[in-house]
Amino acid sequence: MRVRAALAGLMLILLVWPWMAPRYFVFLASLVLVNAVVAIGLNLLSGYTNQLSFGHAGFLAIGAYTAALLTLHAPAIPVVATLMLAGLVTAIVGLAFGVPCLRLSGLYLAMATLAFGFVIVEAILNLGALTRGADGLSVPVARLGAWPLASDTARYYLALAVTVVLVAGAMNLTRSRVGRAFLAIRESEIAAQASGVPVALYKTLAFGVSAFYTGVAGGLFAFLVGFLSPDAFDVFLSVDFVVMIILGGLGSVPGSIVGAAVVTVLNDALAAFQNYRPLIFGAILIACMLFMPGGITGAVRALARRVTAPSGGRSCPSSSAA
Amino acid sequence: MPFVIRCLIAVALLAAAPAAAQQGVSDTEIVLGGSNSFSGPLAFTGEQATKFGVDLYVRVVNDAGGINGRKIRTVFYDDGYRPQDAVANTRKLVEQDGIFAVIAPQGTPPVVATLDYLGQNKVPLLFPFQGSPIVRGHRYVFSGMTLYDRQSKMMIDYLVGPRKYKTFAAIYQDDEYGKAFLTAFEKDLARHNLKLTATEPVKRGATDVSAQVAKLQAAKPQVTFLVLTPGAGAQTLKERQKIGWTDTLMVSSGPLTDERYLALAGDAAEGVEGLSLWPDPVTSDLAGMKAYREAMQKYFPKNEPNRYSLSGYFAAMLFTEGAKRAGRGLTRENLITSLEGIKGWDSGILPPITIGSDHETQRQGFWVKVDKGRFQQLTEWLKSD
Amino acid sequence: MTTAALIHVVVSGLATGSIYALMALSLVIIYNATRTLNFAQGEMLMVSTFVAWSAQRLLGLPLLAALLVAVLAAALLALVFERLVIRRAIGATHWDVLILTLGLSLILRAGSGIVWSHDEFPFPSFFSNRPIALGPVRVAPASLGIIGASVVLMLALAVLFRWTRLGRAMRAVAQNQRAARLMGISVERVYASAWVLAAVVGAVAGVLVAPVIFLSSKMGLVVINGFTAAVLGGFGSMPGAVVGGMLLGVLENLAPLYLPTEIRYSVPFLVLIAILLVRPAGLLGRVERRKV
Repeated sequence: MRVRAALAGLMLILLVWPWMAPRYFVFLASLVLVNAVVAIGLNLLSGYTNQLSFGHAGFLAIGAYTAALLTLHAPAIPVVATLMLAGLVTAIVGLAFGVPCLRLSGLYLAMATLAFGFVIVEAILNLGALTRGADGLSVPVARLGAWPLASDTARYYLALAVTVVLVAGAMNLTRSRVGRAFLAIRESEIAAQASGVPVALYKTLAFGVSAFYTGVAGGLFAFLVGFLSPDAFDVFLSVDFVVMIILGGLGSVPGSIVGAAVVTVLNDALAAFQNYRPLIFGAILIACMLFMPGGITGAVRALARRVTAPSGGRSCPSSSAA
Repeated sequence: MPFVIRCLIAVALLAAAPAAAQQGVSDTEIVLGGSNSFSGPLAFTGEQATKFGVDLYVRVVNDAGGINGRKIRTVFYDDGYRPQDAVANTRKLVEQDGIFAVIAPQGTPPVVATLDYLGQNKVPLLFPFQGSPIVRGHRYVFSGMTLYDRQSKMMIDYLVGPRKYKTFAAIYQDDEYGKAFLTAFEKDLARHNLKLTATEPVKRGATDVSAQVAKLQAAKPQVTFLVLTPGAGAQTLKERQKIGWTDTLMVSSGPLTDERYLALAGDAAEGVEGLSLWPDPVTSDLAGMKAYREAMQKYFPKNEPNRYSLSGYFAAMLFTEGAKRAGRGLTRENLITSLEGIKGWDSGILPPITIGSDHETQRQGFWVKVDKGRFQQLTEWLKSD
Repeated sequence: MTTAALIHVVVSGLATGSIYALMALSLVIIYNATRTLNFAQGEMLMVSTFVAWSAQRLLGLPLLAALLVAVLAAALLALVFERLVIRRAIGATHWDVLILTLGLSLILRAGSGIVWSHDEFPFPSFFSNRPIALGPVRVAPASLGIIGASVVLMLALAVLFRWTRLGRAMRAVAQNQRAARLMGISVERVYASAWVLAAVVGAVAGVLVAPVIFLSSKMGLVVINGFTAAVLGGFGSMPGAVVGGMLLGVLENLAPLYLPTEIRYSVPFLVLIAILLVRPAGLLGRVERRKV
């Protein structure tokens, strides 16, 4: 009950945020939402089915450029459809990539995704006629029907609406049969297979869904930032996303959101530290991992366990240990 | 007090309030800022241009009393060369820090990403450290570095004209810097009915350039352009030395022609020529250059003079000149007007600056050749018009 | 393209490949012993080389002494980090350790920029840059020197793993940690040794490669190539790391010779993906068969 109230409160703040906060923080909040969607997508792949990806910046790029090019060449398409199409295109690429990767595991898969990320950025650089290559692509303003989404507030609400729908979708997915199958695969692929879970199907599905989410986020990213260039989607961005989900908590949708928020806000706050920025960020990462193994979600769960067992008795060992 | 009286007093106070002040300009200070690279591939040049460049001149100005009674304060944020971070930082600077103008940001993608936003919000973008011609034609933008197409024109006209070379090749960095030069070279060569016989790209951060150099050698060009960063440029020169490829003239682009690649290439740089955008930061005895070195020695004695800090220093110098001319009632609009009005201004560093409505502040370059580890001047300042 | 030029390019590729191989070996050594990936391997290499450079300039040391300083600095750095941070995280998943090493890499890179600046510096080489002529072929002593030094180091590692107690202990832990512990092997000591050994290999690689790619805070990024090489060759296999490294170096150099600019940079990655599709465990890797 308390959780419901807290959630309702959060939703309320999110809804009235543009009236509470200065313009810049509305923009920042939109960025948090975009990163949250990517983090959820990545978590579905890496946190749930244990397929570690260091190439999600590549998926983000596909979604971003698709949305930008659609808006540029086919402005009649409503923005929500553009986002869905961006997600779809990215999902198709994700599926195409995910199928051959079924045989790969652990570090080999991680390396393959890293390679994927590089190849995508190279392709963007070289398809200059389409993407304007190294010069970069200016993204036209998105339109919702006749309205141009030309203000931070408008873009924020678009991002919020899309994020809410996708979060709900992810929560449903993880609570459904599919979600349980994902978790089973993560715990032990062999046991899952032996229990009759069609592992290959679900692993591929995870790739597709993850890519879809990241592609939609890419479209939002394009409208928010307004300018795309291959420099924006390097391997370090992919690593940032991995940091978000590990910090937030693997295998947790709320964890992904929290992780995304923490990393985005932290990165922004540290910009003033100039050349100390990566140093401080690195130190914070180390501190977090030493004191919160299992990420923020793990820490919250541990705290909750302690709170709900006040008599000091040992609670039952959790079966969802990281 | 009756409600109506209170309302009337409030209205009277509002009417008597001063007109909306210029953002970034208060009674005592002018706030400048920018998003730049303090981490990432161009961290060194970013830090030099801001902390040891702009800030160096700002210290000199502030110590002398400031501009029309106002001191300058600078705010710089790190974007690590990421366009999206540059956009976020720039928005923060304009909306939260209330800067008057953006000064000396670096790199084409981070700068271009902010063009629309700054234009819409009428914030001046002053002297970005990048040379792509894409910044032309924006009311609020004043270019910094001599733009790449001008550099190319000077280089090609000089090499084809007085030096009478006919075959050219280029090794270039595989990004907007390299590709912009490539396009410019091809255009300028076409004017002389010539073309590039071979071009080889190099990825940023590449570890080995032997394949590219081997291919260029096979094409036998008389002149090979180096459009690279100091590390890759030095690697190319050392590779050339390794394979004993002596019958081509290596020519460095403007951004590359500096002491950094000399230090890295060592004796492999002997005989290399190039377009120099600045006087020698260490040996030039022009009045402004001496002042620059003295200031560096005074405020940052451990930092060596170099062309990146010099460009930042000059950016701040040019801003100060424009702001001084605009007077005490400094606004963004009259800063633009006064900058446009600069004619034949002697900075003591570069040839006399005339800006005008094209908003290009630098158009200069002169030819140099590496002799015994230093650049020797071969020509006067070349014309790029 | 003459044959002589081609040979030069291939030899140069083998030299770069040797560095990749050494990097790959560092990663594999730590991974085999501890099952963790050290994201900071490149930055540790970079800092050790910087320390050696500073020592050499301040004290006027001969190059060989500087190499020793690099090795000692690397060992110290590895030991300190392993003890203070990694050891504390025992029981943490490999995800967590990934973040720990990522944090370290950020700290080292930014820290190096603060101490030495992000500028690039020339580093003295053991070998001359003047080409030597073997018939019509010109080969750079630098390339041969790097290949030679790397081979010597790889052989030394092979000897270490085969014939010394420590090597056997490390192999035992790599095979089965629990069994090794039951046999009386101190797993903690093996962990620390793996970290130190990997750092030392990295330091040697750093001193060898710094003259070529120049000393700077971004020198550590070469670890990405090391990772690619290790996976290419079969992650976990040391001969695989060597083969993968050499192959990657040569591929990177041959691609610009024969392929259009649009795809030449993607080629190493495309080849990697292609190989993984056919052999999911890399060229020389063994497919792990897990018994249930």
